[in-house]
Amino acid sequence: MTVEWGQVLWAFAWGGLCAVERRGFLQAMVSRPLVAGTGAGLLLGDVQAGLYVGLLFELYYLGTASLGASRPENDTLAATAGAAFAVGLARANGAPSVPAVWSLGVLTCAGMGPLGRWMEMRLERHAAGLLGRAASIAEAGQLRRAVRQNLFGLWPFFAAFGAVTALASLAGQLAAPWERRVPLELLRGLAWAYPAMASVAAAIAVRGANDRRGHLYAGVAAVAVGAAAWGAGP
Amino acid sequence: MRMPRSVLLRVYGRSLFLQAAWNPQGMQNLGLAYALYPALEVLYPDEVARSEAVRRHLTVFNTHPYVAASIVGGVLHHERRIARGEESPDRVVAFKAALMGPLAALGDGFFWLSLRPAVGAACAALVPWLGGWAALLFLFLYNAVHLWLRARFYRLGLLLGDGLVNQPALQRLPRWGTRLRHVAAACAGGLAAGLAVQFGAQQPGAAGPWLAAGCVGLGVAGYWAVGRRLPHTVSLFLAACLAMAASAIL
Repeated sequence: MTVEWGQVLWAFAWGGLCAVERRGFLQAMVSRPLVAGTGAGLLLGDVQAGLYVGLLFELYYLGTASLGASRPENDTLAATAGAAFAVGLARANGAPSVPAVWSLGVLTCAGMGPLGRWMEMRLERHAAGLLGRAASIAEAGQLRRAVRQNLFGLWPFFAAFGAVTALASLAGQLAAPWERRVPLELLRGLAWAYPAMASVAAAIAVRGANDRRGHLYAGVAAVAVGAAAWGAGP
Repeated sequence: MRMPRSVLLRVYGRSLFLQAAWNPQGMQNLGLAYALYPALEVLYPDEVARSEAVRRHLTVFNTHPYVAASIVGGVLHHERRIARGEESPDRVVAFKAALMGPLAALGDGFFWLSLRPAVGAACAALVPWLGGWAALLFLFLYNAVHLWLRARFYRLGLLLGDGLVNQPALQRLPRWGTRLRHVAAACAGGLAAGLAVQFGAQQPGAAGPWLAAGCVGLGVAGYWAVGRRLPHTVSLFLAACLAMAASAIL
């Protein structure tokens, strides 16, 4: 099989950019799973895969936040890597993605959240080194150069998170021949797994909304939407 | 000393990089010094005074990155007075120390725990209708509030200094936060039901209603299990396994 290296490069660039945006520039939420996943899908050539992988991780991580000294799992890496894996898998098989592929993207990359958190903590040591360097440069009287050390804190994040996303894209492409051998019954099961996981992710989101009466609002909305959708028919 | 508008804009622009070199020792201190530097250059033409000013902002600093705009503005307010000799440098240090904790709590509560979940859940709920445009809508809605408030906080800090704590714009945030959390919960519930019905309807034969009902049941069970501290990842994988088992049986 041939690997689409262009896809791997795009995955690297997007994963790195999202990490920088999440970490230290603007924080306009381009790095939220819904946006980061959809963006990855758009760049890599399958918007649906990116959108639905991102949607699931958006719900899964809806209530997580970095509060005080706490450090949540890295939702951005889970979404970009999951989307890159799913798109790589679908494109290598020459077909548009289906819910079974989205499920594989989610299940394969669910562990990326904790991995991303661990990577962030490791890379912060580099930032601490920059602080020491800035102090010594300031001592030498080069103030402008000292404060500019701030920007150098972003590059390691770009490189490390970009690399993991690129690896996920590569892994998706390499997994394609294996996926073609999966029995149809198992693929059907994976297709069923997507809405099941989305329901649980939504339940986690309701908990994550930090609303004491959240279950009531969620229940009323679920009944209303379910009745309307069922009534509308297929 | 009058500060040129271009310098004020540069400081605001550079404050967007506040967390670039976040580290456990000084937290956002390097980012704060980076943001303030263009203004300190104007306020302190003397090298020694400027060096002292930079050093007093290299002490530990940590707050919510959006609400930090008000502290950046407030620091400039104080630094202008210090440069004119109207107050001592201790005032700006005390100003930062007094405000960074409470403003962090305010920003976390409103932006991270209310606005972001509400807009995220609402736009996720619109995915079946809007497709990929839901992601763009998310960026537009979230940033309309975020960027507007961030600019407003910066301006308030610049104009009022310590007086910004009495501003209604800050005091109203917790009330809005509560309403937004209702929206987040309702949208997540609605989306779960919508997806269950949508995917159920796509199944041929009699399996569709079973899939839809099973998903709703898993959502309820998931809500209960997460409340009992079952790890989220376990819940997710358990749901996938159950769905796969059900597809084999039905």
